[in-house]
Amino acid sequence: MSEIEAADASGIDGAGLIGDANPLRPRNTILKRYCLIAGFATVVLVLTAHVFAFQTDWARTGGLGQMLKTAAWFLPNLGYFPSILLALFETFLIALFGTLIGMVIAIPVAVLAARNVTPAGLASYWAGRVTIVLSRSVHELIFALIFVSALGLGPLPGMLALAVRSVGFLAKTTAEAIENIDIGPVEAIEATGARRMAVLLFAVLPQVFPIFVGNVIFQFDINIRRAAILGMVGGGGIGLIFAEQIMSLAYDRAGTVVLGVVAMVLLGEYISIRIRSWLL
Amino acid sequence: MALLEIVGLKKTYPTGETALRGIDLAVDGAEVIAVLGLSGSGKSTLLRCINRLVEPSEGLVVLDGVRVSELDRHGLQRARRHMGMIFQEYNLVDRLTVLENVLSGCLGVASTWRAVTRAFRKDDIERAMELCSRVGILDQIRKRADQLSGGQRQRVGIARALMQQPKILLVDEPTSSLDPKIGAGVMELMCAVADEHHVPMLVSVHDLDVATGYSKRIVGLREGRIVFDAETREVDRSVLHSIYTDQDAA
Repeated sequence: MSEIEAADASGIDGAGLIGDANPLRPRNTILKRYCLIAGFATVVLVLTAHVFAFQTDWARTGGLGQMLKTAAWFLPNLGYFPSILLALFETFLIALFGTLIGMVIAIPVAVLAARNVTPAGLASYWAGRVTIVLSRSVHELIFALIFVSALGLGPLPGMLALAVRSVGFLAKTTAEAIENIDIGPVEAIEATGARRMAVLLFAVLPQVFPIFVGNVIFQFDINIRRAAILGMVGGGGIGLIFAEQIMSLAYDRAGTVVLGVVAMVLLGEYISIRIRSWLL
Repeated sequence: MALLEIVGLKKTYPTGETALRGIDLAVDGAEVIAVLGLSGSGKSTLLRCINRLVEPSEGLVVLDGVRVSELDRHGLQRARRHMGMIFQEYNLVDRLTVLENVLSGCLGVASTWRAVTRAFRKDDIERAMELCSRVGILDQIRKRADQLSGGQRQRVGIARALMQQPKILLVDEPTSSLDPKIGAGVMELMCAVADEHHVPMLVSVHDLDVATGYSKRIVGLREGRIVFDAETREVDRSVLHSIYTDQDAA
């Protein structure tokens, strides 16, 4: 409006400046938007009612008191804690090595999948992209099941499952970082007659390094959580103990496992922060 | 035969934009040559076609008997070792130290293993230090490149180019990102070191005062063609007219 007023005040013919088209959006566009929001909210409410109100067996759930009582079964039994320490440590190592192996595989995949450095044009670019999609589109439990059937029970298949699952995220984010680098230093190093490897090391790597390290640490964080459930399908670590305790209705022990996992995640968080401040 | 010879060089970008329409140029001896022209006249493209950071569409580039424009990738890498380039935006690697940036100038001759381990030869390191001292950044060598000022960064760029022990220096708008005073210092330094190392220097500039102040010879570019090529002292009004005047207005 102020523009129109200004135009009028300065003696410019408003109609001539604006023409027939109103510069503001027509009023019913806004109205339509409100209707859309209201409709969307209604649909969500109906679906919510369907899931929560009609599909839940309220009689079995009991009152609030009963719910709290059930939850209290899970109060951790600290006396049980020492016997899960080893499994927790194993879980931690599965996450650590799974991340490291994934990191090593992700580097060449990222180089393939980055448009500006991919070595053999579209062929290598798509090879990289397909690898990333395969890794990202399959759940870690599926990978764990595949590796367990191939390698047997234990931490090794769990570790490999996490590694393969991590490649996608790490390679994707790294490839994007490579695609977004400043091309100037790359040209400068190429202009010295450096070989491809030297260009990657001196001009690409230093620009990508901080992003890469940050993402590896983030992936490690996620992998600690993932490692905690791999045991349920035989992938080693704390998950097996948790499943056993739940099935034998030892809820206090299951609660202890949950507490242990929380402690381990906190430890992982702490280590992440330390590595980050040390490296970056 | 001249040290650098360019015959019939043409460049049309994939966008259809024609930057060079047939350039013939010979460079010999240790002279400073200003490539003068307006933005878009093809100065940068000309310099970049010489070391093929931009691939020429047509024509011949010969450096010291080597037909650069016809080399395969590895041949080109070898040929590039002899051409030092200095960039408008310095193009340093920010996260590396000043000394590492200077040493990256010898990556063309260093083995891949040395590149991986950043283990440069001792005499290379000494030479890099000498160059840093020459361009006046010896007290900065341990700093990261992104901690330096613009003028200092361009000095690192100069040292990196000299590290290659080049046969020719290609310099693309070296002072356009610097204020005039700092820029003058950088120009003086470049001319001095080019003279000390007995290498010719091709400098693209858009500023006439910079061109006349430092060069022995001026090559005037306009719309991808050389419109003037003579000793700097011969430059007069008509030359300026041919380079600068708006054709449509004239």
